[in-house]
Formats: sequence, structure tokens, C-alpha cells
Amino acid sequence: MKFLVSFLTVFCVSLFAFGKATNAALPETKMVVVRAGNYYPFLIKKSDKPIPIAAFLMDETAVTNGEYLEFIKANPSWSKSKVSRLFADPNYLAQWEGDFNIGKEEKKLFNAPVVNVSWFAAQAYAKWKGKRLPTVAEWEMAGNGKPDKLKKHASLTEYILDWYNRPNTGDLPNVKSTYRNEYGLYDMHGLIWEWTFNFNSFISSGDSRTNTQDEAKLYCAAGALTVKDRKNYAAFLRFSFRGSLKGSYCISSLGFRCAKDLK
Amino acid sequence: MKKTLFTVLTFSAFACLQMSCKTNNGNSSNGLGIDTTTTGTVTAELTDPPLVPKPLTYTSPKHVMVTLEVIEKVMKIADSTDYTFWTFGGTVPGKFIRVRQGDLVDFTLKNQAGNKLPHNIDLHAVTGPGGGATVTNVAPGYDARFQFRALNPGIFIYHCATGPVGMHIANGMYGMIYVEPQHDPLPKVDHEYYIMQGDFYTKGKFEAKGLQDFDMDKAIDEKPDYVLFNGRVGSLLGPNALKAKVGETVRLFVGNGGPNLVSSFHVIGEIFNIARVEGGSLVNHDVQTTLIPAGGATMVEMKMEVPGTYHIVDHSIFRAFNKGAIANIKVEGANDPNIFMNLKKK
Amino acid sequence: MKSITILFLAAILLQGCTGNTNNPDKAKAEVAKETAKAPLPDGSIFNIKDTFTTQHNTPMQLVSLQGKPTLIAMIFSNCGYACPRLTADMKAIHDKLGAKANQVNFVLVSFDVARDTPARLEAYTKEQEMTPDWILLHGGEQTVRTLSVLLNVQYEKDAEGNFSHSNLISVLDKNGVLAFQKEGIDADHTETMSTLQKMLQ
Repeated sequence: MKFLVSFLTVFCVSLFAFGKATNAALPETKMVVVRAGNYYPFLIKKSDKPIPIAAFLMDETAVTNGEYLEFIKANPSWSKSKVSRLFADPNYLAQWEGDFNIGKEEKKLFNAPVVNVSWFAAQAYAKWKGKRLPTVAEWEMAGNGKPDKLKKHASLTEYILDWYNRPNTGDLPNVKSTYRNEYGLYDMHGLIWEWTFNFNSFISSGDSRTNTQDEAKLYCAAGALTVKDRKNYAAFLRFSFRGSLKGSYCISSLGFRCAKDLK
Repeated sequence: MKKTLFTVLTFSAFACLQMSCKTNNGNSSNGLGIDTTTTGTVTAELTDPPLVPKPLTYTSPKHVMVTLEVIEKVMKIADSTDYTFWTFGGTVPGKFIRVRQGDLVDFTLKNQAGNKLPHNIDLHAVTGPGGGATVTNVAPGYDARFQFRALNPGIFIYHCATGPVGMHIANGMYGMIYVEPQHDPLPKVDHEYYIMQGDFYTKGKFEAKGLQDFDMDKAIDEKPDYVLFNGRVGSLLGPNALKAKVGETVRLFVGNGGPNLVSSFHVIGEIFNIARVEGGSLVNHDVQTTLIPAGGATMVEMKMEVPGTYHIVDHSIFRAFNKGAIANIKVEGANDPNIFMNLKKK
Repeated sequence: MKSITILFLAAILLQGCTGNTNNPDKAKAEVAKETAKAPLPDGSIFNIKDTFTTQHNTPMQLVSLQGKPTLIAMIFSNCGYACPRLTADMKAIHDKLGAKANQVNFVLVSFDVARDTPARLEAYTKEQEMTPDWILLHGGEQTVRTLSVLLNVQYEKDAEGNFSHSNLISVLDKNGVLAFQKEGIDADHTETMSTLQKMLQ
């Protein structure tokens, strides 16, 4: 089984190497296989069954400032001064100096994950790469992958909560600076938040209590009662974060990575 | 005379304008039993604990602007112990808000850009869905704004209600808002102070050194390492003790943020002349210990007749002496042997 | 042939013009010209370039709604509870507008990309007794999700293929800029009406 997975990985990666070349001066981000599995919805309703997730490919790292710069150069309509306010608010690429240059922080930022990017921008980048954003279910399943090893923490949950509990301070480190998980994915937790394709799928706090099928809320008792595992506070925090977003938001701790169907 | 007429006219014109903006619900016609005819705009004075904003001087409903900023920051929870607090305005508890019954409060909640998490606010003084939480869930770097009419007078707590709620509250996300009644405002006192109790759950034991993480298992088991007034061991001890002079009256606005414990609030060596039960309109007299539920508040008043240091405690007493739930009021002045004296000569 | 006729009719409808009945291409060209002369504002939702399909199986970009205010909601036709009522709310607004209803686009977009085919949507217009001026749109998953993000509509598919979703009716101005939103079913749409009526003045 393991052999098959590794084989598939190699196969897909090589497929990519010969795939559609962008104007890449940078090497293509390696994609790894996330095996098929089940995703258990975070909030349970009576009708909820685990959702089967087909195997898919995922970027092993988040998109970096350097990679994003290539996208901007190929798609100037997404540069800081050109982008529509409908698709990205004024925080867009706030860490960059210019439209086509990262600026004097370039050295520090080049291999760090790009943040202050909107959902629309992430969508456009993924499309340009011939990829897509992962769904919430895909991301959550991939993010649950067992870490190869953690230095200080007893469990992945502890590690995640520790990160959530820290205010953002200073510059973001480079990608691959935290841990790698069983799928070969780096930094799924502990570096940045990541956009998902259907981040707005969760019926969350902004809504009145007249929603159709469930009235689960992310605040007060309702949420806590329906949380699948009441100790799964880490997931709770992620879902409440997603629930606070709008597509044009650009946040200094929010970036993305791409996914792709395995076909 | 002319000037008066002009003023009256201006006032009526303004009132009409207000009517067209639908903020007027005249006293008799609005069915609320209070005056909600709103004229003029003021920015609320906000104070850090243990201070309380000055009593309000206006006597008709105002548009009151309030802005609170959520700040996640590392602060001392004890002398050698740090903790990552999530705060309304940079302190635990958050800033004290004072408005008047009938005011239309225009509330902005900012979430500081460097913060990691979304937050919102549920003010118990709000009549409306989620106490404001439904419309204020806001991502880092953004803000939310809503308005509410302060219908009921009294002392209310506010807190963050973003999931997981318990964790947000356990990290210090609470504060208080006092709604002055339209009729019969509180009698004047010499000092007003602001205290909030909260229970904290850390990986290490009480006063273990260094930066301590939130411990969710202890929180779920309701086994706090710290029970604190104003978010820090010794926040109101030593040079930070509350102060009064002999003969002065003191009013404490006391809240309990929780997340879990109920407070048996007591001042050692004093009796509350007045305890406003659960922060509402029921006035109790001559009370030794008053219960403050988690998510509740009270107002107590006492006259300081005898000099000395008075300990404010949660009379679930291990909390006071082993978990930090102790604060002081230092009263200076001449002793009155008619009330208290030590009879054993040294 | 049928689709061309419909396109043609749609074009006339969009133009709000009853003359010019003999040349579909000309009509189309004039719609294009009209669009060209009013560039879309930055905040216009019509900036989505994706193509939807109407209940008449006609391809359509949102920009073709330009020129009239639009009342828009997102639904799925298999919805047993909220969506019919949301639709009913929109129909009530349609009725209240009376003769002016034809100066407003009434648009429903389905997030059930798998089941709500154009044919299914057409059947839905019959079930709901909608007048022919209603536009029901089917779109691809990416397209529909993008629209939902712009309209602040949250939705999630469950294991049975049904959806949890927020109930929002949005008013767009004639250039596709979001002007007003009302959440909830059986909601008070006084402000929705007044927003529309102001636009029609």
C-alpha cells in the first residue's frame, strides 16, 4: 500500500514536471497525494454521515511571495494598484512595496508564504496554475495528517492550540519551517491560516437564526452543543476564523496553497 | 427672549429631523416606558480597571459613540508568570463603558490587525440577537459596527462570544457596561471602582514560572489554577490597592467574567450597606456576602468608618489564599474607638 | 433556433425596448453598445466574467443585467422549506412593484450545480408560478461559489446532496453594485422595496 502511494506520488509529480509550463523561473511547487478518506463534519446534525473524500493532490507548501510575484508579472491586473476593490481590499499585499517588486524586505519575504491575499486572488492564482483551492473537507483531512515529529508538543492539537494562542509577531518564517506530515505536506498548522475554496460554506455567526437546516451557531451554547468532539477546540477556532471572512479580505496571517484532482 | 425662541425652534426642528430618521420614539408613544427621543452625539468616556467613568451629566437620550479594540497580548498573570490574554482594549477586564438608559449606542468593535483570531462582543445590556454577537464577528484587521438602544438600567457584563466561547472568556475577554437609569440615578459616592473576577486555566500550576498556555482540559473540568480580580495576581494589592478615607463612601461595580465559577463576593471587615441584587433594581441592605454568577454583576456600597486594610475576597476561601482572588482597599484616617478598637494592650 | 429566439427576446427585454423586432443581431449589438458606454464600476458584481446558463438553456453573463436594478437570491429547487418562501418573498416584491416590475431584473441562482439543470430550473418556474420575466441561472461550481462569496451567501452541501444556506435577498443597482441586503425568510421587505423604488425614480 505504502509502495503504491509513493509510486503514485512520484508518478504525479513527474506528470507535473512535464505538464503545462508557466513562465516559471521558479521550480514548480511539488504536489503530494492526499489519500482518499473520510471527513467528519465539524458540527454534527442527525443527518450527518462522514463525507468520503477522493484522493487528491496538494501543494506541499503554501504559495510564497516569490511565486506570487511570478503570477502578478504574468497577470498585471492582479497587481496592487490595478486590482479591483471588489476582489481585494486595501490590505492587499500590504507587505510589498510596489506592483511588481516586493521591496527591501524581498530577501526575508521571498520564500515566506504570501499573505494579505484575498480569496479571489487565491482563486485566480490557482486557476493560472491549472489548479484549484482545496475544499474545507479536503483541507481539514489533509491538515489532520500525523506530523513526522513535533519537538515540544505532546500532540498535534496541543501544537495547533499553542500557535492559535500566540498573537502574530514579526515576520513570517519561510515555508517548510515548521513540521511535515504523513502526506508530505509542510506547515499545515503553525505558520499561517489558509484559504479554502468553500470557506463560506459554514453557516456561521453572521446569520440570523432563520437558517434552513440547522441553527448551529459559532457562538454561545448552540455551537458547543453540536461540536463533534467538544475538546476539538482547534477545529472550532479554524471554523470560527473562516466564518469571519469575506472574499475580499486580506489578512496578515492568511495565505493559501493549491490542490488538484488526482486524474 | 428671542434667543430662547430660537433655541426652542432649533430644538423642534432637530426633533423633527430625528423623527424622520426614525430615532424618535416619544416617551408616551413608544411603548417602552422610557424617553428615547435622541438628540446630540457624545463619545463615551472609557476607563481601564479599576477606574470607572464619571457619572453622566446629560439628562436626555444621546447618540453615544463607543469604540472598543480587541488586542491579543502577553501580559503578566503573576509576578513571574506570563499569559497570552485576549482583551477588550488591552486590559483584563476590558474598558468600562457608561451610558444612560434611553441612549442609542453606536458601537464599533475593532479587531487589531496583528491578532490571530476573530472575535465578537455580546453585551448583556443589549436587547437584540446575540447581544450584538451576531453582527460583530470580525476578522483580524477589520471592524464591525452596530447600534442598540439601552433599554434596561443596571450593571451588565460584556464578553466575547466567538467559538469556542469558553476559551475566549477564559483568556480574559470580558468587561462591564453600566446603564444609568433615566429616573433615580445612583446616589453620589466618594469613590467608584471597577472589579471583575475571572478564573484562569494554565498548563503549569499557580505561579509556575514563564509563559503559560491555556489548558482546555482543566477548563472543561472547571479546575482553575487562578481565580483573580482584574486579571492578575496582586492587581489590587500593595501600591495598587484601592483607596479611601475614613468617612468616605465607596461603590464597587463588581462583575464575574467566569468562565466557570460563581463568586461569593465579600469584603473582610465591612458590610455592604447596599447590595443591588444581581446588578438589577432590587436593593438589599446590610449584606455580608453577595453571590455573583458567572456572566453576572452587582453594585455594592459601603461606608468606610474605620481605618485599615480591607480584603476583598471570593469567600470560597481557598480561591482567595491559594489562587489569587484577593484585593485590598486601604482606608486612611483617624480611628474611631466608638466603632472598633483593640482592647489587649501590648 | 429556439435558443436564438430566446436570446433575441432576452435582448429586447434587457433593452427595455419594444421596437426593433426584425433583427436579432442588431438588437444584440445594441445591448453590447449600451454596455460599452457605461463602464462597470469597481464594485460591480457584474465584473464576474463567468458564463451562466438560463432556464431557457441560454448562456448569459451577469453584465447583461446591466441597465436595470436587480433583485437576486440564491436557492436550490429541491429545498423543501426556505427556498420556496424566499422565492415567495421575491414574488411579493414583484407584485407590489406592479407595472414597474418589468423595470427590475428578478434573478434566482441555484447552488445545486449537480441537480438544478436549466430544464429543472424551468420546471421550477412553473411550480412556483413565476412570470416569464424571471431569470433562473445555472452555473459551474466555481462560478456559483464566486457569486456566493460576492453576495455574502453561505452554503454547504450535505451528504444527501441538500444544502444548508443563508437566506438573503440582495438589491443590485443598475450597474451591479450591491445596494441593499435583507436576511431571513418572511422578512420585512419595506426597505428592500424603498431601495428599489428609489432606483426606479
